[in-house]
Amino acid sequence: MIDRMKDIYAKHKIAAWLILLAILVTMPMYVSISNMRIVCRIMLYVILAGGLNIINGYCGQLCFGIAGFYCVGSYVQAVLMKTYHVSFWLALIPSGIAAALIGALVALPALRLKGIFLGMITIGFSELVRLIALNWTSVTGGAMGIKGIMAPKFFGIKLGGASKYYYIFLGVVLIYLFCTNRIIRSRVGRAWLSIREDELAAKSLGVDIKRYKILNFMYGSFWAGIAGAVYVAYSSYVDSTYFTLDEGFNVLGMLIIGGQGTLIGPIVGSVVAQVLTEALRVINIWRYVVYAGLIILMMWVRPQGLVGASGSMLAGNKAEKKKAAKGCVEKLERKEA
Amino acid sequence: MKNRVIQKVAALFLASGMVMSLAACNSSADSSAAPSSSEAAASAGGTSKGTIKFGLIAPLTGVHAEYGQGFQTATKIAADEINAAGGVNGYQIEIEVQDSAADPKTSADIATQFCEDDDIKAIIGDFTSSCCMADAPIVDQYQCVLLSPTASNPDYAPMSDYCFSVMYNQANMAPWVGKSVIGKYMGVKSVAVMYLNTDWGISTNQYLLQGLSEAGIQVLADEAYEEKETDFSSIIAKLKASNAEAVCILDQGNVPTIINQIKTSGWGPKLVTQGPGASQQMLDLCGKNAEGLVITDSSYITEDNPKTKDFYDKFYAMNQCAPTDHSLCAYNCVEMLASAIESIGDGDITREAIKDALKTTTYDGMAGTVKFDENGGGVRQFLILGVKDGKYVVDEDYGYE
Amino acid sequence: MLSQYMINQLVNGLCQGFIYALIALGFAVIVGIVGLATFTHGEIIMIGAYASYYIFSACGNNLFLGLFASFCASWLVGILVYKLCYEQFLNVPEHISLICTIGFSMLLKNLAQIFFGTEKKPMLDIIDNRIYSLGPVEISKVQIVIMVTVLALSALMMMIFNWTKWGVALRSVSQNREAAALVGINVKQTIMVGNCIGCAMAGVAGMLIGIYYQAIYPTMGATLSMKAFAAATLGGLTSVPLSALGGGILGLIENLGISISSASFRDVFSFGFLIIILIFKPTGFVKRKGVRP
Repeated sequence: MIDRMKDIYAKHKIAAWLILLAILVTMPMYVSISNMRIVCRIMLYVILAGGLNIINGYCGQLCFGIAGFYCVGSYVQAVLMKTYHVSFWLALIPSGIAAALIGALVALPALRLKGIFLGMITIGFSELVRLIALNWTSVTGGAMGIKGIMAPKFFGIKLGGASKYYYIFLGVVLIYLFCTNRIIRSRVGRAWLSIREDELAAKSLGVDIKRYKILNFMYGSFWAGIAGAVYVAYSSYVDSTYFTLDEGFNVLGMLIIGGQGTLIGPIVGSVVAQVLTEALRVINIWRYVVYAGLIILMMWVRPQGLVGASGSMLAGNKAEKKKAAKGCVEKLERKEA
Repeated sequence: MKNRVIQKVAALFLASGMVMSLAACNSSADSSAAPSSSEAAASAGGTSKGTIKFGLIAPLTGVHAEYGQGFQTATKIAADEINAAGGVNGYQIEIEVQDSAADPKTSADIATQFCEDDDIKAIIGDFTSSCCMADAPIVDQYQCVLLSPTASNPDYAPMSDYCFSVMYNQANMAPWVGKSVIGKYMGVKSVAVMYLNTDWGISTNQYLLQGLSEAGIQVLADEAYEEKETDFSSIIAKLKASNAEAVCILDQGNVPTIINQIKTSGWGPKLVTQGPGASQQMLDLCGKNAEGLVITDSSYITEDNPKTKDFYDKFYAMNQCAPTDHSLCAYNCVEMLASAIESIGDGDITREAIKDALKTTTYDGMAGTVKFDENGGGVRQFLILGVKDGKYVVDEDYGYE
Repeated sequence: MLSQYMINQLVNGLCQGFIYALIALGFAVIVGIVGLATFTHGEIIMIGAYASYYIFSACGNNLFLGLFASFCASWLVGILVYKLCYEQFLNVPEHISLICTIGFSMLLKNLAQIFFGTEKKPMLDIIDNRIYSLGPVEISKVQIVIMVTVLALSALMMMIFNWTKWGVALRSVSQNREAAALVGINVKQTIMVGNCIGCAMAGVAGMLIGIYYQAIYPTMGATLSMKAFAAATLGGLTSVPLSALGGGILGLIENLGISISSASFRDVFSFGFLIIILIFKPTGFVKRKGVRP
């Protein structure tokens, strides 16, 4: 059945995309506002998990501290808009860039560290950023937070409320997908993949590991920063309790469920995670028990996630690595033929 | 082979989970409501005009689960009591509970969901200030009352006409603690303060210092710490080095731990605390270390207190733990809303009418009088309590200047 | 010139450090010696604490009975963790079992909130807490018990892993599983027992921490385990005594930092120190390079 679907998709590729786009654009017209807010939350997590996917999924690094980058983006946006009265659109880019610069800072130790040591650095870093946000009262408002961040205007239309703000989220997600898709297929993206699969081999083939790792962290954290920047204007209030380590693990969980190393993975992951946790409200306090059980089950059944990159080391099975490599070669040969 | 079967079963399980979740998406909102309260009341109430629904947003899971579950139980007790007495103006009260896990995003989403539901006349919640701050623009837009039991960010209640909070009382409360309780009642000359680095702690500390300076009491140390802190020995050593006569602790959940650690360090200053509320849990957690502690609260919730025994017993039976001041605030929320509805009388019960009525409502219950100031912040009356032989003793009644 | 105040702060720092070290010990055994990745450590601490709490409230304040209970309970949970999170994934990249343990920690935390209740539970007067003064230094009985436990356990672990046949087998398993299997070591069983030893140490740590802080609650493990994780990383993750040293130093640094500034910067000092050390010395305090990542 999947094959038949794939065939249909291959035949009517453009039509399928157009229909999907039409559904997405017209969504606020037939979905209630409270459900629209869930959609917005999903979009936020798509960008966050997407940013993490670039670091963990495409480059094979172990980053637990995505909440730190998210925090930097949020606060830069909030401070720019609130204190310096910069418009929402103009402030977006500096917020992203600030997060990216912090990402580069984290990447510096990452060049020498691997695995759990790197994970520890990112955890420590995420907590550092949160504590600075909590204690730097003169700029970030400390524990009082920053309130009253206005929703932006777009050609005179105020984009407040979930049903209008949704379009900003949608726009950012589409831009993210477009850019990432281009980059993954470029020289840079291939370098990242090679680092993930075998760092030593990549180095011996002349890949400048340092440069690409830093670039990878910068690009991933850039999108986490953008996610934060978009989110503060949506919630209109920000304080440091938004960015706990648990939030970072939450995003990581979504990425794992959806699958690392593919564009669609974070999307599937955040949709499934949000829909599940909303739907499991029926069982009240048991819902996180079930959710946790599903994460473990997922690791048993499909370690690469629902739609993760199955042919890579992310899928876990070293024995199958050769098979997968063989498959890749066959695929390439078929393409050439 | 075996692996294949496991995979298939698991895939089936996952798929069915997804289908179930999609199907449940729409119905989930109603199913977690508490139907028992209306049923119980229908038999007792007699003439019933219908039901009024309140939404409750509370962190039933996560780090603040203790308080969220307390909210759930306390509001249910209040609703059951009101319904058993025939309801308000002939209406039965029903409370629909949703879990926010103390996440502002989720909390705001639930607030929207409640606001969209025309049956829900007012919202009670959330526990943390940051959740309430995220909810405030939404309730303002939908014009629905958000009555938080515990939100204490001084910016919160003025954010909208529709935002109210019961525990919002530092502006009146903390200077009074500084001037009257520490200065006049305890009669100390120097004090060391330690406070929680959250919106609540910072604003309470500010107001407290104001009161202390008016009374001319020396503040020898003023230390903040993070919410997750478990080991206070270094702060205590700092306070100890200042040689203050008394220590004032501004915190909620950590107070028993701090008191224990102060006593363990072999230091015996006079202790005064503001925030945790006089609960049985506090006595249990401190044991004999609590002896001599001065605490201010609107009441004390233990089994020995005849005023709150009923509440205590019901709470204990439902939740298997002793209630805290936070739960009492949630209980007060329901009572406040009920008395607001009562004051509307025969008029239409709308969200707007509830807001207007709530502004002038006073509720006189087991824990003194509660009313709201012009911003929507709660004003409660307070007792000065001391701990003697493992029990609370009222040292000064309401109205101590 | 050390004033009484600074000496007190140093002692406090040391005691705090020993708490971290206590948790870091088990962590170092699991991550460093056995070579598994774990995020469930904090929750096993909590399980150990609750096990002893229920024993204390049922059978009176018998320290050894409590010790036994928390040891057994966390050993059993250790078996469960091994079966759920490790056994299937011994031959696959580490991150998969890591995620599994994250899921398992979420599971345990939420189950504990449901079954044990969400509120704090008192654990008072288990040990008659006396304070001893040695000149300017004041130290309580529980603190001495914790210090002795840390020192004894790290010495014991060092002996087990260096001098017993089984310990050497475990270390060989962590370095090369296939080779270990070839020389006739039962790889799976060795790993499971190693994991259980680490978990049992966490359980005992949980009991001692419960006694020290005099209260236990379902989320007690989360923050502490993160700090212990940092301590073990500082110690280089391959050596139990060095991890304990890492904990001690972390506690000292934190408390020195607090004594010159504010307590809300506590984690800034510890994590900042960790990051600086790891930048200049990626393997922590361990001298050798390239034993394991």
